[in-house]
Amino acid sequence: MPPTVDYHCPCLSRTTVPPPPHLPSSSHSFHALHTLFFCEECDAVRCNRCVSVEVSGYYCPNCLFEVPSASVRAEKNRCARNCFMCPNCRNTLSVVPSDPPDPGDGRLTIPISTIGEPPFFLYCNHCRWDSAEVGITFEKPTGLAAQLQKFEDSAPDSLEFERLKEHFEPVIRASSLSSSTSTAPAAHPSSAAHSHRRTNSITAAASAALARDIPGVSKYNPLARSGRGGSSKDKTANRDEMPEYRSRLDISSASSLGTGGGDADVDSMRHLENVSEVANLEQRWVNSWATSLQTADLKPLRIPLHSKRSKRCPACAHILIKPEQKAQSVRYKIKLVAANYLPAITAALPHQQEAANPDAVKRTLGKSTTVAADDDRATAGMHAGKTYPFHLALTNPLYDPIQVRLTVQRVHAPAPASGRASPEKARRPPFAVSLPSASFPIAAFAEAWEYEDDEDDDMFGLDDDDEFGIAGRVAGREKDTRGKIKTVGVLEKKANVTVVGGEVVIGKEARGNVKFNMLVSYTYRSDDPTPSESNDAEGTVSKAAASKPPETKTFAFYTVVDLGPIIPREEPRVESDF
Amino acid sequence: MSVVPATPQGKTSFKEVDPKTPTVSRVASTSAVQSSPHYGTTRRHSLYGVEDRVIIDAGSRIWKVGFSGEGRPRDVFYAGGADEVPLWNLTRPADAAEKAEQERILEVKLETCLRSVFHDSLLTDPKARKVILVEHPLLPLYIKDMIARILFDNLQVPSVSFASSHLLSLLAVGRITGLVVDCGHLESVALPIFAARPLFPHLRTTPLAGARLTSHLRALLLLFGTYLPPPTSLSAAANIPAANRSTRVPQEVLTDAVVEEIKARCCFVGDGLGPSNNDTRDITPGDESSEIDLPPSDSTQSESDFSLAGRDSNFSSHRASSEFSIISNPRVPAVDNHRGEGHLQALATLYQRHSTATELQMRVVPPPSQQTGTGRGTLIIPGWVRERGAEVLFEGGDVDEGSLAEVILDSLLKVPVDLRKTLASSILVVGGTAMLPGFIPRLQHELLRAVAPPQTPSRPSSRPDRPDRPPLPQYDPYASLRPLLPYFAILNNPSPPAATTARAGANAGKAPAFSPATMAWVGGSLTGSLKTGGVEVNREQWDSADAANRDGDGNADISVEVERVQIVLPDWTRSPLPAGAPSALSNPQLMSSPTRMASPQVPVGA
Repeated sequence: MPPTVDYHCPCLSRTTVPPPPHLPSSSHSFHALHTLFFCEECDAVRCNRCVSVEVSGYYCPNCLFEVPSASVRAEKNRCARNCFMCPNCRNTLSVVPSDPPDPGDGRLTIPISTIGEPPFFLYCNHCRWDSAEVGITFEKPTGLAAQLQKFEDSAPDSLEFERLKEHFEPVIRASSLSSSTSTAPAAHPSSAAHSHRRTNSITAAASAALARDIPGVSKYNPLARSGRGGSSKDKTANRDEMPEYRSRLDISSASSLGTGGGDADVDSMRHLENVSEVANLEQRWVNSWATSLQTADLKPLRIPLHSKRSKRCPACAHILIKPEQKAQSVRYKIKLVAANYLPAITAALPHQQEAANPDAVKRTLGKSTTVAADDDRATAGMHAGKTYPFHLALTNPLYDPIQVRLTVQRVHAPAPASGRASPEKARRPPFAVSLPSASFPIAAFAEAWEYEDDEDDDMFGLDDDDEFGIAGRVAGREKDTRGKIKTVGVLEKKANVTVVGGEVVIGKEARGNVKFNMLVSYTYRSDDPTPSESNDAEGTVSKAAASKPPETKTFAFYTVVDLGPIIPREEPRVESDF
Repeated sequence: MSVVPATPQGKTSFKEVDPKTPTVSRVASTSAVQSSPHYGTTRRHSLYGVEDRVIIDAGSRIWKVGFSGEGRPRDVFYAGGADEVPLWNLTRPADAAEKAEQERILEVKLETCLRSVFHDSLLTDPKARKVILVEHPLLPLYIKDMIARILFDNLQVPSVSFASSHLLSLLAVGRITGLVVDCGHLESVALPIFAARPLFPHLRTTPLAGARLTSHLRALLLLFGTYLPPPTSLSAAANIPAANRSTRVPQEVLTDAVVEEIKARCCFVGDGLGPSNNDTRDITPGDESSEIDLPPSDSTQSESDFSLAGRDSNFSSHRASSEFSIISNPRVPAVDNHRGEGHLQALATLYQRHSTATELQMRVVPPPSQQTGTGRGTLIIPGWVRERGAEVLFEGGDVDEGSLAEVILDSLLKVPVDLRKTLASSILVVGGTAMLPGFIPRLQHELLRAVAPPQTPSRPSSRPDRPDRPPLPQYDPYASLRPLLPYFAILNNPSPPAATTARAGANAGKAPAFSPATMAWVGGSLTGSLKTGGVEVNREQWDSADAANRDGDGNADISVEVERVQIVLPDWTRSPLPAGAPSALSNPQLMSSPTRMASPQVPVGA
C-alpha cells in the first residue's frame, strides 16, 4: 500500500488538536482531501460527518426520472414507474412479453403489436427469476407499479395497522379528555366515578363490537379482590379496562397458511433439502407481517430512490456543495471543496520506488513470481532499526505563492490527561521523524503554459538555500548515485509543486505503522493583485483577509501521514510467509 | 406545532426531573390534541407533510427504521456494516483509556448509522423530523446519551422521544397489559407491563439469546460438522468420493456471516425432548454438568431440574466414538477445552436421537490457507444441529443464566399475586431470535414443563453427608405458580396447544400476525401515528441543558457533564425509587404509557 496523507477535520472532538494517530478511533477524524469541503465564512475544513445534508431532489437510479417530493412520500421512496429489483440477486428486472400463442399449424405468427403479447411479466437477466413464478403478471408493459399498487394497499400489515389505530384512538382521545378535566396530574383519579366516566367515553367512541366488553368493565370495582378459585366469571380478565382487541388476522390462523413460524414452518424446515429454498434474512427482514420462509414466494422489489444532496456548513449554514437539479447532470452549482484551498500533499518512499522500478533486473534472474514478490516486500518495507528517507510533494492550488511550514506533532507526545499517558511515556517512541523546520515557498498555481519559461529558474534558485537539496533530488531520480547524501530539506521545485524530503528513524523494537500527525501551516499574501483569471473563491479569501490589518494570512491544518507498516526486526520472515 | 404525548400523563411530568418545562409542554399538547381530535386519523391531509415521525429501533446488530403510520419499516440494515460486528456487547473494558477509546469508536459508528438513516434510508431532512427512539430497557445509558447527543447536535432533530420497546411491542398486538419477552441478540429480557406501565423492577434478564446461540452453533459445527474442500481439479470431483475428501470444519470457514446465515436459513426449534428421558434424570446429575461451567453448589441440582443436558450426561459414557458424521474421529477443536467437548458429545448423543431433520449442504468460501481447489467448499450441517442448536436457549445455565422459561417465571414470581393470572395468560414473545420457526411453541412447552409438578426423586434424598438430618425438600421454585398452569398463553403463539381454560383459549395465538422481530417497530409507528409516543425531549430542553453543561464549569469535567446530560434524558433507571422495597405499582413514576388508561388504583400485591 502506498503511503497516504489524510486531512484532519476537528468535528469529532472539541479541540483542534487531532487525536494521537496510534488510536484506532483517530482514523475517523482524518479524511482524504477529495472528500473534504471548505467553508469560506468560517474559514474551516468541513467533512462529510459534520455537514448538514439537505435533499435537493429525488430520482430513480434506474430510469433517472426526477420524482417530485409529493409522490416520494406517497410511494415510500420507491420508484413508481417500471423499475423493479430481483428479490434474489437485486438485479434490475426487465419487462418481457409472453410467448405468442401457437396457432397450431406450425407457422410463425406475425406479432400483432410491437410491444408483444400480454400477459407481461418481470424477468431477471442474471438469475432467470421471473415474476410469473409468484403469480405477478401485467396486462400492459407500462405503469407496472400502478398495477401493483392495489395489492400493496391491501397488504395485511397496513390493514391490521389501521385497525390497531382505530382500536387505540378512542381510548387515547378519552384519556386525554378525562385527564384534561382532572386538574392536577399528581392527584390520583381514584374515585370510581372517575373511571366510570372514562369508560363512558370509551363506550361512546368504541365500535359496537368493542362495546360488548364494556359492561364488565364498568362493573369492575378495583377494591374487590378477584376470586382466585376459578369462578365462572373471571374478574381478572379485563384488569386494565382496555377493550379487547380482535385481530383482523391472528397469528394462529396465519400460521395455518404456512407462515409465521408455526408447525407448518417447522415441518418444512425439518424436511428441507436445499439451503437455497429458504430465503435469507436480508430478503425477509423488512416484512413486518408473518411471511413465508420460502425463496419461491419472494416478490419483486421496487427500486429505492436516490437523492441529490446539497450540503451546508454546520456552523454558519452556508451552502458548501449544491448539485444541479437534473438527475442526468453530474455538475454542481456551488462547489467549495477543500482541494481548492488546501495544498495537496502526497507522500512517497524513494526506496519503495526504487524497488518497484528496476523490475527488469529481477526478471532476468529467473525467479518465480512469488519469490520476487517476497523480495519486493522485503526491500520495499521498512525494517525496524533502520533509517529511511521519504518525500512529501505539496501542490499549491491557490493563484498566489504560499509559504508552507511543516511541524511534526511529537509521537505520543501530547498524551491525554487520562490514564494512558504513563505506560506510553515509559516506552520510547517507536520512531522519530525529521522534516525541514524552516518554511519553504510553493509557487502559485497557473495554467500549464505559463510555467515553461521560469521552470529552470526555480530549479536553480534552490542552489542558494541548500546545495544538498539537489543531490537529494538526484539521488531520488538516478539510483546510481551513492554516498552520504542529505535527505532532509527542499528537494525539488517545479511549477506549483514543491517536494520536501524527510527522514524517519525507526527504533529497534518498533512495530505497527509509521504514522504521525503533521501540522501544515501556510501563509499567503492576501494583498497581491489577483490575476484577472482568478476564480471567485480565491477572491473571497483575499477579500476576507484584506479586511484585517495584516497583509498575510495564515491557515493551519493537521494531517496524518501513514508511511506504511514496520517490519519487526526479530522475525522478518514471519510476516512475509504468514 | 407541538405534538408531545397526546395523553398528558407524560413520564416527564412524574419523574420530577425538571418540573418546569414538561408541564408547559403537557398543557400545550393537550390543547393541540383537543383542537383537532381527528388529526391523527387522516394521514393524507398533507402530501409534503413532515409530521410523520421517524421511528428508529436501534439494536446492537440490526436497526429498523421508518416513518410512523406505516405498517412496516422502510429499511432494515446491519449497523456494524457488512462484517456485521455488533455495535456494543455486554462487556466494557475496565481500563479507562481503553473504555474511552471504545466509546469514541462507538460514537463514530453510531453517528455513521444515524446519518445514514436520514440520508440514505429515509432520504429526509433530519431538521424537520421528530424522532421516536425505540429503547430497550437495558440499553446502557451511555449509549442512550450518545444517540441523543448525535441526534440533537449532529443531525439537529427537533425532538426525540423514548419509548420502551416492550411496551411498544404490546401495543402492536392491541394490548396494554402483558408479559413481554424480548429475545434479541445480546439478551433475553422479560418485562411485565400492566395498563401500559412497565413494571421495571420486575424485569428479568438472561444472556441466553442470539449471540449465545451463534457461539453454540459454531461450537457444534466445529465438532460435528463436515467440510468438503473444493476438488483440486474439475475432474477430481468425479473420481474421489466425498467421504475421502471430508475433513473437519476449519475455523476460518465459520465466519460470523456464515453462522448467521445458517441460523437464519437452516435452524429451527424442534419439539420438546419429551418425557421419555425423565427416567434417567437425577441419576448422575453432578458429574459432567457440574464440570462444565456450573458452580458445584445446589444450583447444579436446580439446573438438573430443567436442563436436559445435565440429565443426559450418563449417555456420554457409552456412546460410540463416531456415529455422527463421516468423520472418522471427532475433532478436537482448537478453542474448546475438553470439558466443553465432553459436554457437547453428551448433547450430540441426546439430540441425535431426538431429531429427524435432514442434513444440509451449504457452499462456503474455503479458508485462505486452503485456496488451492476449484470453486467453493461444502459444509455439511447435520440435521440435529439444525433442530437442536437452539436447545441452548431453553436449558438454564447457572443462576445468572436462567433459561428463557425460567426468566419468564422468575419475573412472574416477582409480580403481585393478583396480577399473575392476567400476565401469565398474555405472554408476548418478540425479538429477532424468536423468529426461528418453532421457537414460540417450544417456549410454551418449556413454560409448562418448568411449572409442572416435579418428578418424585428417584434416589433417596437424604443428604449423604448428614444422614441424621431429614431429607431436604425438593427444590421447586415455581410451586406457587402451579395453579396458573392452565392459564399460560402466549399471545403470538403460531400453533397454540388446545386451551384448557377459556382465558388461555381467548388469548393464545390471537395476536395479529406481525413478525416478532418487527413488533417493537410497529408499535413505535403506531404511537407515532397516534401522536403519543414516550417521553419527549425537545431541542430547547436539550440546548439549554447543553449550554448549562458548557457554561457551568470551564474545566469540562466529564463526570459532571454526564450528570448534567442525565437531567435531560429520561430513563426508568434514573427515576428515584422510594425508600425500602420499591412497590412499583403504586409508583406513578413508572408510568411511561402513551395511554393513560383507567385503573386509578392498582392493587399492590399482597
